[in-house]
Amino acid sequence: MLLEGKTAIVTGSIQGIGRAVLIEMVKNGADAIACGQRETPEFTELAADLRREYGRLVVPVYFDFSDKDGVKAAVSEIRKAGKPIDILANVAGMTIDAFFPMVTQEQLLTVFQINFFSQIAFTQYIVKLMLRNGKGSIVNFSSVTGIEGNPGQLAYGAAKAAWVAATKTMSAELGPKGIRVNAVAPGSIATAMTADLPEDVAAAQIAKSSLRRFGQPDEVAKTVVFLASDRASYITGQIVKIDGGL
Amino acid sequence: MSNLEKYIEAFKTTFELGDESALPALKYQDIEAWDSVGHMALIAELEDAFDIMMDTDDIIDFSSFEIGKEIMAKYDVAL
Repeated sequence: MLLEGKTAIVTGSIQGIGRAVLIEMVKNGADAIACGQRETPEFTELAADLRREYGRLVVPVYFDFSDKDGVKAAVSEIRKAGKPIDILANVAGMTIDAFFPMVTQEQLLTVFQINFFSQIAFTQYIVKLMLRNGKGSIVNFSSVTGIEGNPGQLAYGAAKAAWVAATKTMSAELGPKGIRVNAVAPGSIATAMTADLPEDVAAAQIAKSSLRRFGQPDEVAKTVVFLASDRASYITGQIVKIDGGL
Repeated sequence: MSNLEKYIEAFKTTFELGDESALPALKYQDIEAWDSVGHMALIAELEDAFDIMMDTDDIIDFSSFEIGKEIMAKYDVAL
C-alpha cells in the first residue's frame, strides 16, 4: 500500500473527485481527515464504511471555504487531533460560468475566494503542521481549463491557472524543507459538474480527447495518490494533466 | 518553565541557536534560518508551546523577537 502509516487531509471530499481521492487514500493505507462543506447522510455512511472496510481512521471536518473563521476553526480542530500531517490534497472547488464580457467582479471574487484565496490560507496553516515533521506532500488541483482556457469559464479557469504558479512557487520555497508540491490538471471528468453539460458539448469534449471518453474520478484519484506517496519522492513543482490526451 | 523561557526556547529550537544573547536584537531575515519558511516553523513552535493559533496578519507582523512579544500579548501570553 502506497500510503501506509501516513495521514492525509483531503478537502472537498464529500463528492466528485474529492470523494474518489478520499477513498483511494484510505484504500492505500492512509488515515484521513476528510474535509467538506457540510455533513450529509451519504458522507457519514461513506466515512463509516471506509473505517470498517479498511480499518483506517477517517475523521470528517466540516467548514465552508468562504468563511475565514470557519477555516481557522477547522485547522484548530485538525491541530488538536495531534496527528502528524503527511499529505494535503487541495481538491475543493466550485465554478460560476460566464463568458468574458459578462463576468462580474463579484463572480470573480467569489470563485477566487473559494478556489484559491481561502485554500492558500488553509495550506499556509497546514504547512506549519508539516514543517514539524520536516516532510510532506501537497497535491493541488489545477485544471486543463486553467492551462488551455475554455469559453464561458473565465473565473474558474483563471483561478485554476493561479494554482499553476502557486504550485511552482510553493515547491521552490518548501522543497528545501522536505515538502513536495505538485498539482494535477484534470480534463473532462465524469462528475456532477459535468453531468449537466448539454449533449452536444459533452460529445464535443469526448471527441477532442485521444481516448474518446470522459475520465473517471478514480483515475484522477490514483494519480493524486501516486504524487502524494513516496513513490514520487523526486517529483515536485509539476502540473500533471489527466485529460485522456487533449 | 516561564512563558519567557518557553518563548526563547521556541526561537532556539526552531533556528538551532546555542546562544540566546543575540535574541533581543534578532529580526526576521537577520539569520539564514529565519527565512519565510523558517518563520512558519517558528510560528508553529510558538503555537504549540502556548496552545494558541495566530491570525495571518499577526504572523506577517511578527518581524522581530521584540515585536513578537507584543503580538504574543494579544493571545494572552504575558512575557
